[in-house]
This record gives sequence, structure tokens and C-alpha cells, in this order.
Amino acid sequence: MDIIKLEHVTKQYDDGFIALNDISLTIESGKFYSLLGPSGSGKTTILRIMAGFSEPTEGKVYFAGQDITALDASKRQINTVFQNYALFPHMNVYENVAFGLEIKKQKKSKIQAAVKDALHMVQLDDFANREISELSGGQQQRVAIARALVNQPKVLLLDESLSALDKHLRKDMQFELRAIQKKLGITFIFVTHDQEEALAMSDEIFVLDKGKIQQSGSPVDIYDEPVNDFVARFIGDSNIVLGRMVRDFEVEFVNRRFECADAGIPAGEKVEIVLRPEDLDLVRPEDGKLDVIVQSQLFLGDHYEIKAKDMDDNEWLIHSTNATQVGKEVGVFFDSEDIHVMRFGESEADFDKRLETYEGDETGEKR
Amino acid sequence: MKKKHFVWSRLYMAIVLFMMYLPIFYLIFYSFSSGKNMSRFRHFTWAHYVTLFHDDRLLAIFIETIMLALLSSLVATLIGTFGAIAIDQAKSKKFKGILLALNNILMVSPDVIIGASFLIFFTALGISLGFGSVLLSHIAFSIPVVVLMVLPRLKEMDRSLIDAAQDLGANQFDVFSKILLPVITPGILSGFFMAFTYSLDDFAVTFFVTGNGFSTLSVEIYSRARQGIDLEINALSALMFVFVLALVFVYYLIEKRRRFKKAPKRG
Amino acid sequence: MKKNRLFFLLPYSLWILLFVIAPMILIAFDAFTGSHGEFTWSNFVQFFSDTTFLRMTLNSFWYAFLITVITLLISYPMAYILSHMKNQQFWLLLIILPTWINLLLKAYAFIGIFARDGLVNHFLSFFGIGPANILFTDFAFIFVATYIEIPFMILPIYNAICDIDPALINAARDLGASKWQVLGKIIWPLSRSGVESGIQAVFIPSLSLFMLTRLIGGNRVITLGTAIEEYFLTTMNWHMGSTIGVVLIVLMLIVMLTTNRKRHHQEVR
Repeated sequence: MDIIKLEHVTKQYDDGFIALNDISLTIESGKFYSLLGPSGSGKTTILRIMAGFSEPTEGKVYFAGQDITALDASKRQINTVFQNYALFPHMNVYENVAFGLEIKKQKKSKIQAAVKDALHMVQLDDFANREISELSGGQQQRVAIARALVNQPKVLLLDESLSALDKHLRKDMQFELRAIQKKLGITFIFVTHDQEEALAMSDEIFVLDKGKIQQSGSPVDIYDEPVNDFVARFIGDSNIVLGRMVRDFEVEFVNRRFECADAGIPAGEKVEIVLRPEDLDLVRPEDGKLDVIVQSQLFLGDHYEIKAKDMDDNEWLIHSTNATQVGKEVGVFFDSEDIHVMRFGESEADFDKRLETYEGDETGEKR
Repeated sequence: MKKKHFVWSRLYMAIVLFMMYLPIFYLIFYSFSSGKNMSRFRHFTWAHYVTLFHDDRLLAIFIETIMLALLSSLVATLIGTFGAIAIDQAKSKKFKGILLALNNILMVSPDVIIGASFLIFFTALGISLGFGSVLLSHIAFSIPVVVLMVLPRLKEMDRSLIDAAQDLGANQFDVFSKILLPVITPGILSGFFMAFTYSLDDFAVTFFVTGNGFSTLSVEIYSRARQGIDLEINALSALMFVFVLALVFVYYLIEKRRRFKKAPKRG
Repeated sequence: MKKNRLFFLLPYSLWILLFVIAPMILIAFDAFTGSHGEFTWSNFVQFFSDTTFLRMTLNSFWYAFLITVITLLISYPMAYILSHMKNQQFWLLLIILPTWINLLLKAYAFIGIFARDGLVNHFLSFFGIGPANILFTDFAFIFVATYIEIPFMILPIYNAICDIDPALINAARDLGASKWQVLGKIIWPLSRSGVESGIQAVFIPSLSLFMLTRLIGGNRVITLGTAIEEYFLTTMNWHMGSTIGVVLIVLMLIVMLTTNRKRHHQEVR
């Protein structure tokens, strides 16, 4: 079921800056979504429009089929977990969590029970009487989540909610958020600039840049089939080189021809090639598809990050579990499925259409 | 609903602002009246301005008041800045707290108490009342505001700047003149400005510690106003208003330019 | 470094010694001594046994209270509206500007406005009321004092409101609070520090506005400040003047302590 729908939403600020440019998207009930993009991409603006803090310059916002474009934030069945939590400093934990219910003038006994449940859910059972200033960042985060969830919203918006936490806590909270969402079965919309976070938690991701949705889909789709070089660069590391389509299922780059999995592109068209560093394997020079010389090697714990140059001075990023030596000549091997071809200016819709012409229904299941 | 809210709040603001400016414009308006009081506008005249510019006593007082303000705020800024640095450098928290509390005593004391206690103080020391006692008083009550303006700048300052400077071989004086001073200069300037206005505006303290020989504008206006309406004072207030307006305008322009330069880009 | 600190500290501590501590000690000393320099409680005994003194103290307190309350009632909405305006700097400047016009000039203006044939009485006669005696009444004194103090109340409140994180207001709206509920439950409690410093900035000077009582109140309104001025500069009884001064200081301390109290919280089991 569709719960939120944006139709042709544009947001232009007084100073002329266009934060959102004709955005249309549909949010289904009960899923975990991420709005992913660099700062200034418009992701927070979308969130603010959904929450009701800001009105679109053009376009409509629907909630469960109702037009809520001009509806005040206080009247929406949507709650928000703010970036820096926005906990009321003059109230203690209990008062913060109870705020929404007290506004709705619920019975005191009912409020107490609901607050207790909410604090239990975020594992802060004994913290009701604490001052906000006495809490750690992670605890404040939990209070903010409890304060939003206690109102039983249909949709929970989370604005860069984990970015203030340290790496370890962030990982824990990712699991917890996902678990809470599964348990309550409500829609979560998570705004983040951290691609790992988005990939780890989401059912579906919207990748945004310059006020436009660049691509949407499951984490696997977006990782494996970036629609343009922005998405390819933003999601994970990638090697991107210029190439030329020879014919269907054959592409030329670095002056060599390779078999590939893409089709439906006119022969001779200039394209961009994406090769993920973890899809590149180091082999003996005679077994490789490319010859490179290792320039540098960094040990990153679970793998080595290797930078190498081929004979034409193209730089290649390779992730390998085995070490090599700087200055050594090695071969690079990759499968034809690892080559991802991107057309210049191809939109997500065009891409999907083209894919259907030759792939049938096995889209995105190549791994 | 939203629109209505907007109109009421604008109306409220307009009324309050109107009330705030009414007395000032009332004064200025009657400074051009040829009558003797502020009740019926006769006809337009510059006569009161002419009298004002021939009133040597008032002009002398005007100049003396400005000189007093300049001198007292300069000295107060110097001592106050030193005080702020001393407070900032205080090692123990307790000492810092005591210094701050003592600093704030004159900030919160009513003017009459300051005036009366200074009067006792000067008499006890045998200092004769006049320009000297008024100057000392003005310096004294301006110092705490300078401290309060400079102190936040010192607090905000990145401590590692000093460490970095010393690490790079700067001596004490270099650290003071090249690191500390530039950082706190905005605070010093606003402190000076505040001290200046404090001095110009003061009536009560001056009234207590000035003898018969010396008078400031405030004291002079008070003694004239007690004798009734004198449209020469209206003319004076018109001039002072124009003066303040000019100052504000210049300040506003500078501020606007600074703001424009620093206007941040949206991320 | 040590020498340096002393260099900064010396002039400042000299100032503290001479102009903060010494005058305070001297005023207290005068309050507790008689005309021959002997220690005595008699000044205080006289103060607290004389109904004129007590009535004056009460009056003074009452006037200052009224001035503060009225100023707050006018200033809070002003500060709130101001914090929502575009071009806030400009409007702020417009509010500060009158404070740079000499206090005495503004008081003097009201002598004209409130005079028997002044602006207000013209206005009243137009509606068939008056002319009334306005100048030299309690009303005139309170009105002018309020007029003078308004900017000093608006500024701290405005600053406190501006310091509130806008996300808190969004959070409250997000949780269902209406505009008025946001004002009552978020903005008002979070701007209390501004209200408190505003009250301090208005109440304390209001206890001692002797020039206004002279010019506008026409000696009908006698405040503690007026009394101190009279004892020091007219009757030259510094001991009694100092006694009243000490009472004023104590009142001031009470005000400061009560405006700084801690807030109360809902506790649950």
C-alpha cells in the first residue's frame, strides 16, 4: 500500500536556490527507505516537506491518498527523529517522551504506560527521571526515537540520526533501528549521506544529487547497476573509464575489446565503464585481462587496497585479500558480468526499459 | 488564519514602535515652533537653534561631556581589557568566580547606590568634587561592561593558537600582540562603544559626584527641565537625534557590507 | 608568565579595591554609625519604626513591581514577533535607537506630552474627556518609567528566543503541538533566562529612578532612590541615606536570588 506520494515536487528558496527539482516518488507502507545523497542534494528538504516543516514551491504531497501539501506538521501522522535529536532541554526524559501524548490530552495513566513501553523498546527502562544533559549521545538518540514512536506514527522520519554517534554505536543502532522497524511494521524513512549505512539497513534506497533522484531501488540493484557515474562513485569505490560500444555484449575500453553483459546500445556509442575494485582479481600476468604495475598498497584490516597503473597510465583500484608488492607487474582478471556499461545521460527509466529488452525477468539477480 | 496572525503581530509591533518614537519626534517637532511651550505649534522658526548655537555655556558643556566620555571610556577599555585577560588567566576556579562576582557588583547596583557610595568615597579621601571625581566615577562604572564584552572572546579563543605560537618561537609580547589582541579586538571595540554610551548617558552617578563647578549635558538638561519647558532643549535633542541617526546609519552600512562579504554559501 | 599575569591583574584589582570594595564598605560603615562616628543600630531602628519609611519602601517596591510587570507584558510579545521577522537586524536597531537618546531628554519630552495643554490632553478633549491632570501623578511616573525600560526588557528576551534551537520548535510541532502550545511549552520556558535577566535589568533601576520622580512624579511619588538622593544631597544626612542604601541593596539581592531559582520536574516511578 502506498503511504506517502510526492508528485512533481519542486522547492526553490527565496534566494533562488533550487533544492528539489521536480521530484516524484512513492513510499510504500511497512518498508525501510533511505534517502541517500551528499549534503545539498535535497534529501533533508524532502524529509522536511514530508514532515510539514516546509512547503513545496510546486507539486503535491499525498499521505494515504489524502492531499497534505498544506497541512500543518502538528496534524500529520508522521513523526521525526531529528539530526541532533532536538530533545527539550528543560524537560527530563519522561517529559520529553510524554510530550506528544500530553499535547493530545491523553489520560495520565495511559501516558505513563505508553512512555514506559516506549522507553523499554529503546532499552532505557530506568532513565525516565534523568535530565537530558545527563545522557550520552547514544542515550539521547534512543530518547529521541522513543519520543517519536510513542505517538504511534504511520511513518517515522530519521534525519541523519546516527551521524553524531561513534562508529561502534552507529553499527549497534543500525541493527536496533532495523529490528524496531520490523517489529512495529511501520515505514521508516532514513536520511543519510553514509552509503554503507543506507546499504546495510534499507529495503529501498533513493540516491539524490542536485535536487534530483538519480536512482532508486534495492541496495543490491543500486550497487550492481549504477545508472550513472555519480551513483557509481557515491555508492562504494569504483573504477570508471571511458569506452565505446562495439556491438551488443561487446565493449571496447583501454584500447581492448571485452565481452560484457550489456546490450541495446547503438554500436560505436561512447559509454562509461564501471568496474568495482572487489570484482578485480590479482593473477599472474599471463592469466590477466589487463597488465598493471602496483603503485601502492594499504592494509585495511579485512582486505588490501591496491592502486595500480596500466600501460596507458589509467589508474586501477583493486581490493584483494592477498598482499602483493609495490612495483611488481601483475595481471588483473574480471568476469564479463563485472563490467557495467553506463550510457551518458541515460535516466533510470530508460535504463530499466533497455534492460527489459534483453534480460527478461532476471533483473538484478546476477550475483 | 496564518495571514490574520501576521497582520495582528505587525500591528502590535507598529503601535509599540510608534509609542517609542512619539516622544522623540514630539520634541523635535516643537523645536521648530516659535511658541514658548510644547502645546501649540505657532509657526516655523530656526530661532531655538540660533539661540542654542549662541549659548556658550551649553556648547562648552556639550564638548566637555564628549571629552569626558572619550577619556573615561578609553581608560576603562584599557583597564577592563587587562581585567578580562586577568580573569581569563586565573588559575583557580574559585578566584575566577570571586573576580567575576566583584566585577558584576557595579553592573547590577542601582545608580543611586553607586553615586552615593562614590560620594562618600571621594569625601573620605578628600578628593574635591568636579571634573576629576566625575571622570574617575565614569571610568569606574564603565570597566565592568568592558570586561563583560571582552571575556567571551577570550573564552571562545582556541587555546592551541597560543601553544602553536609559542611552539613556533613567539615570546610573551608576540603572543599578546599577534595572537591575543587580534582575536579579542572586536570585543574591545564593543566594550569601548558601550563604555562611551554609558558615560554619555549617565545622569545619576554624575549628579552625586559633580560639584558646582562641573556639569555634564544630562545634569544640565535636568536642572533646566526642572525649571520648565525651554525649547532650546528641544533644539538640542533634535541635533542629538540626528547625530545618533548618522552614527547608526554608518554602523548599519559597515555591518551590512561585512555581512555581505561573509555571506555563507548554502551547502 | 607569572610576571605577566600580575601586570594584567594589578590595575584591575586596584579598581576592584578602590571602586567596588571600598565604597561598599564605606556605605555600610556610614549606615552603622552615628554623627560622631560611633557604632549604632539607631539608623535601622529609626528606619523600621517609622511608618513613612516603611510605606515608602513598600511603595517603591510596588511601583518597581508594576513597572516590571507592565514592561514584561509589552516586551515579551514584541521580542517574540521580532524573532519571527525578516530583517531582524533592522528592527532590532529601531528598538535600540531610542536608548541612545539621553534619558533626561525623553523624560523632558513627557513633561510636554502630559502637560495640561499637551498632546494627551488635546487628544482627551477631542473625545470630550479632560483636560486631566496627568503630569505629576503615579500614572505618569509608571508610564514614563515603563517607556524607558521597554528596550532593556525586549533585548534579553529576544536574545533568549533567538538562542532556542529551531529544531526544538519543529520537534514540538512534529509531536502535534499547535502554535500556542509551542509558545507555552517550549518557547516560554526556554526563554526564561532572558525574562529573568530582563526583570533584573528593569526592576533594580526602577527602585532608584529619582530623576523621573522629580520631573514626572513631581515629588508625589517617593521611591527609595529619591529618598537616598534627598538625604545625600539636600538634607546632607549621609548616615540615614546610607541606611536606606543598605536596605535597597538587600532588596536587590532578594530580587536577584528569587529570579534565579531552579525549575521543577515531573517525577515518575
